[in-house]
Amino acid sequence: MRFSYTHHMPYTGVTEAGQDWPVANKQFDPKLGVEMFQRYIEDKIYAEQAGFDWIGSNEHHFSPYGMMPNPNLVGAVLANRTKRAGILQSGNIIPITNPIRVAEEYAMLDVMSGGRLIAGFMRGIPHEYVAYNVSPDESYGRMAEAIALIKKAWSSPEPFGWEGEFYQFRAVSIWPRPVQQPYPRMMMSASSDASARLAAEAGSSAGFLRIVDFESTRQQIKVYMDRARECGWTPKADDVMIGMNCSIAPTYEEAKEILQAGQKYFFGVLGGGIRTAQQLVIQKTRYFKDKGAAEKFAKKATVQREASFDERVEQGLIVCGTPEMAIQQIQRIHRELGNGRMNLSVKIGNVADHHVTRTLDYLRDIVFPAVRQLGEENDPAQAAE
Amino acid sequence: MKYSYTHHMPYTGIDRSGQDWPVPNKQFDAQKGVEMFNRYVEDKIYAEQTGFDWIGCNEHHMSPYGLMPNPNLVGAVVANRTKRAGILQSGNIVPIVNPIRVAEEYAMLDVMSGGRLVAGFMRGIPHEYVAYNVSPDESYDRMEEAMALIKKAWSEPEPFGWEGEFYQYRAVSIWPKPVQLPFPPMVMSATSERSTRLAAKHRAIAGILALLDMDDGRANINRFKDYSREEGWEPTNDHVMVGVNCCIAPTYDEAKKILEGGQEYFFGVLGGGIRTAQQLVVQKTRYYGSPEESAKLRNKFVNMRSGMKTRSFDERVEMGLMICGTPEMAVEQVTRLHTELGMGRLGLTIKVGNVLDEHVTRTQDYLRDIVFPATRHLGESAGPAQAAE
Amino acid sequence: MFKEKTAMLGKGEIKYFVGGTGRPLIHLHGAGGVRPNAGLEALAENVTIYMPVLPGFDGTAEIAGIDSMETLADLVADFIDKEIGEAADVLGLSFGGWLAAWLAVRHPSKVGQLCMENPAGFRPKDAPAPSTDPETRMKQMYAYPERLPKETKSDKVIAKNLSMLGHYHGDTSFDEKLASQLGKIECLTMIMHGTRDGRVPEEAVQFLKRDIPRSHLIYVYDAAHSMETDQPARFAHLVADFMERAEAFLVNQGTTSGRPQQVL
Repeated sequence: MRFSYTHHMPYTGVTEAGQDWPVANKQFDPKLGVEMFQRYIEDKIYAEQAGFDWIGSNEHHFSPYGMMPNPNLVGAVLANRTKRAGILQSGNIIPITNPIRVAEEYAMLDVMSGGRLIAGFMRGIPHEYVAYNVSPDESYGRMAEAIALIKKAWSSPEPFGWEGEFYQFRAVSIWPRPVQQPYPRMMMSASSDASARLAAEAGSSAGFLRIVDFESTRQQIKVYMDRARECGWTPKADDVMIGMNCSIAPTYEEAKEILQAGQKYFFGVLGGGIRTAQQLVIQKTRYFKDKGAAEKFAKKATVQREASFDERVEQGLIVCGTPEMAIQQIQRIHRELGNGRMNLSVKIGNVADHHVTRTLDYLRDIVFPAVRQLGEENDPAQAAE
Repeated sequence: MKYSYTHHMPYTGIDRSGQDWPVPNKQFDAQKGVEMFNRYVEDKIYAEQTGFDWIGCNEHHMSPYGLMPNPNLVGAVVANRTKRAGILQSGNIVPIVNPIRVAEEYAMLDVMSGGRLVAGFMRGIPHEYVAYNVSPDESYDRMEEAMALIKKAWSEPEPFGWEGEFYQYRAVSIWPKPVQLPFPPMVMSATSERSTRLAAKHRAIAGILALLDMDDGRANINRFKDYSREEGWEPTNDHVMVGVNCCIAPTYDEAKKILEGGQEYFFGVLGGGIRTAQQLVVQKTRYYGSPEESAKLRNKFVNMRSGMKTRSFDERVEMGLMICGTPEMAVEQVTRLHTELGMGRLGLTIKVGNVLDEHVTRTQDYLRDIVFPATRHLGESAGPAQAAE
Repeated sequence: MFKEKTAMLGKGEIKYFVGGTGRPLIHLHGAGGVRPNAGLEALAENVTIYMPVLPGFDGTAEIAGIDSMETLADLVADFIDKEIGEAADVLGLSFGGWLAAWLAVRHPSKVGQLCMENPAGFRPKDAPAPSTDPETRMKQMYAYPERLPKETKSDKVIAKNLSMLGHYHGDTSFDEKLASQLGKIECLTMIMHGTRDGRVPEEAVQFLKRDIPRSHLIYVYDAAHSMETDQPARFAHLVADFMERAEAFLVNQGTTSGRPQQVL
C-alpha cells in the first residue's frame, strides 16, 4: 500500500463562518494566517520523512476551507524542499482555469521536482464555479476539452494551434516541457460514473475520495476499470486511490474525540458558505449530467454529516483508533476494494497540529511498516468483481 | 541605493533557436532543464545573502527566454527559503491572465513571505499576447480594468461583484488576503506614456527597464514624477527603479568579454522567435496605443537593437548604460547613474543570456564585498526630483 | 417606449411612466426626476418598468403630509398596492435608492427584490461631501456625458427637483435612523456602485453590504454616478439577470448569456 498525504490548509482562526457565500475575508487575521501557513508547509514536508509516497495540495477559492487558491505555489515549495516524494497536485480545477497555464505550471513543477509531479485534474466542487464565474453547465465539456489540450501541450513535438469549443490558441509550444514523457503521471477523481470514465479515457490514475460504502465504491472502481480496458489499458492496483480521514492516538476514544471535533468544525464552520454556493449550483444548473448523480452527491454529503461516528468507523469509512486498529482498518479496505493506494487526510478542520504530527509518527513507526506489502501485486479488478 | 536581483531563468541549452514563433520545445532537454532550474533557484536565494534587497521573478511564455510561465511558483520557493528579502514579482502579465487569480496568488505570496511581497504588474512584451491568444489591442484597457479589480479584491472589507468590460464576477472575497494592508507595494513599468500614467495613478514604484541613453531615462523619470504630482503625490527616491545589465570581474576586459558574449546569446539565440511574434504584434495591432506613439516606441526598439549593432560595447559602457568592469569601476558607474537619474533603486540583471553561473556568483560576491558597501548611502536622503532636474 | 399615466393614491394623485415587457419593476428616480435613457430602454426588454414621479419632481404638485423619507416610502407602497398588487421588485437610483431602502424596511411585504444603484443617504461623516464646483460635479456624475439623452426639462424644473431633496430628507447625509434598521430588510438585495462614481463614496456601499442581511455588492466598471447612461448594457444585463435568477445570478450561465467570456 502506498500513501498520499493531503492537507487542504484550512484557515482555522474563525469560530463561525456563517452561511453566506462567499465567506467575508475580513475574518482573516494575517498574523494567524502567516503562522498557519508556515506550520502547514512544514507539516507537508514532514510527511515525506514520515514515509508518505505523495504529498498533495489542492485548489479552493473564496473561503477559509483552504488557503491555496493556486496550490502550485505550495507544490513548488514542496518540490524544492523534498527529495523523494511525489508532488501530487490534486489538483488544479481544470474547467475554471486556462488549460495552457495549467500545462505550463505543471511542467514547471515537474522540472522543479526532477520529474516527481503527479498531475491532478479536478473538476472541482460546485462552489468554485461561482467563485470564478464559469458556467457549471459547461464543466464536463470544458474538462474533456482542456485535458485533451493539456496533453497536447505536453507532448506535441511541434508548435500547434487549437480551435476548440471553449479554448482557442493559435500557436502553442510551452517552455519548459515536463520531465516525465510523454506525460507526467495523472490523477483524476472518479467519484461519479462520468468522471470515472473520463479518468479511464485519459489514462489517469483514479481517486475515490468520498466513500459512502464499500459496495458503491466497488461499482465505481468497476466503471473505471471496465472503461480503461475498453480504451486498451489496464490500471494497476496503485492506480486506484481511496481517500479517508485519519486520526491515530493511544486509545480509540481519544482518536475519536479529536477527529469528531475536527469533522464538526469542518462541516459546521468551514463548510457553511460553501454549501450555500453548492446548493445554488446543484439546484440551478446542469452541473451533474443526470439527476441520479446529483442525488448521489447530496446523499454522500448527508451520509457524511449524519451517520454516527462509530457507525462510520464500523463500516470501515474512517481510519481511526490505535495504531493497531488503523492497520486492521487499512487491511480491511484493501481486502474490500483491492486498492494499492490510500490518501489520508489527517488535518481535518481544526484538529490540533501536534495531533497531526502524532498521527504521522504512528503511521511511520507502526502502520506503514505493517501494510506496505498490501496491493503491491494484485489487480483491483479482481477484488472489485 | 537599494538593489534588486533579476534573473529571468533562461534555458541556455541551445545554440540557435531560429526565428520561428513559438520556439519549438523539442529543443528542451529535460535533464539540463532540471539542473538549470535548481541552480537558478539557488542563485536567487544566494542573492539575499549577498545583500540584495529584493529578488525578482518574471513571467514569459513559450520560449527559452525564460522558464517561468508562472513566476509565482518560483516566488513561493524564494519566499520559503529566505528571511528578509522582498519578493519582487515583476511580474504577472496582468492583461493576459485572470486578475482574480493574480490577486489570490499575490496574497498567497504575501502570506508565505510574512508580508514581503512586492507586487509587480506588467503589461508584458508583445509576444505574450500571441502566446495566450489575447488581443494586443485590448492590452491597456485590460490592464487598467484588471488593476482596479485586483486592488478591490485585496482591500474590500465585504464580498463584492464586478461588472466590467473585460471581467465579470458576481461575488469575490479572496482567501487568504494579503498581509500588507491595504496593498502590498506595487511595481509597474513606466516606459510608455500610458503605462507611466497608470503607474502614477496607482502610486506604484516605476520601473525604467530599457535605458536608451541617460536623457531618455531622465525624460521617463521626469514624466513619471509629473504625472504623480498631477495625481496628488510626490514620489521618493525609492519610487524609481532603473534596470541595467551587470558584470564584474578582476579586469574590465574580462567583464566585457563575459557580458558581451551573454548579450550576443541573449539577442541572437534567446530573442529569435520572440522577435518574430513581436513584429507581428507591433506591426499589426495598436499595442502601443496611438499611431504616433506606436511609431516612436517602435523606433525605440529598433534603436535599441541597432544601438547594439552601431554602438560598440565600449561606447555603451561609456554612456553609462551598463555596470561592467572591476568592482571599483562598478562603484563609479552606479554613482554616475545615481547622479544622472537620481533613482533610489537599481535592478541588476547578472545572468544575461548564457553568462556562466560561476561568473554570476562571482559578480554577486563582488557586489556584496565592495560595490554595495560603497553605494548603499546613495539616494538615501535626496528626492529624485532634485537629482534628476 | 414609456407611456405616461396617472395613479390615484390614498394621499393624492401622482404621475408615472410605464413600459417594457416582463415582470413589474419599480424604478425610483434620483435628484434629476424621471429621465428615460438607453440603460432603462435596454432593461425594459426584460421587465416592465414603472417609474413614479415622486411628488414635487418634474413640475408635479407636492402632496400634503408627504414630507419625509418615511412618508414618501409609504406613498410608494400605496403605489405598488394600487397599480401592481401584491409586491414588486424595486430599483432605486441615488436618492431613489435611499428611498427604496426605507420602503423595504417599512413595507417588507411590498418588495420582491431590491436593487440600490449608487444609493445616497449613507455618506459617512468623515467622507468628503460631493463637490459643488460645476466642472467637478460633472465628472463625479458622468463618466461619459456625451451618452446622456437630450435634456428636455427647464432650468426651473431642474432647480425645483434639487430642492425637493431637502424637502424629503433635510440636510441629512447619513441616515442614522434608517441605518439602524437595515438588518430588517428581508428581501434579496443588490447594491450597485460605479467605479467612477464621485457622488457616493465606496464606504457607503460597503456599509450597506455589511448591514443588509441578504445583499450583494457589485461594482460596475467605468461608470460614474449616472450608471444607466454611462454603461447602459452592463447596467441592464446585470439588473435583468439579478431580477430574473435571484440568488442563482451568482452562477455563470455560459456562452449563451450573451456576454463575452473572460480570460481565465
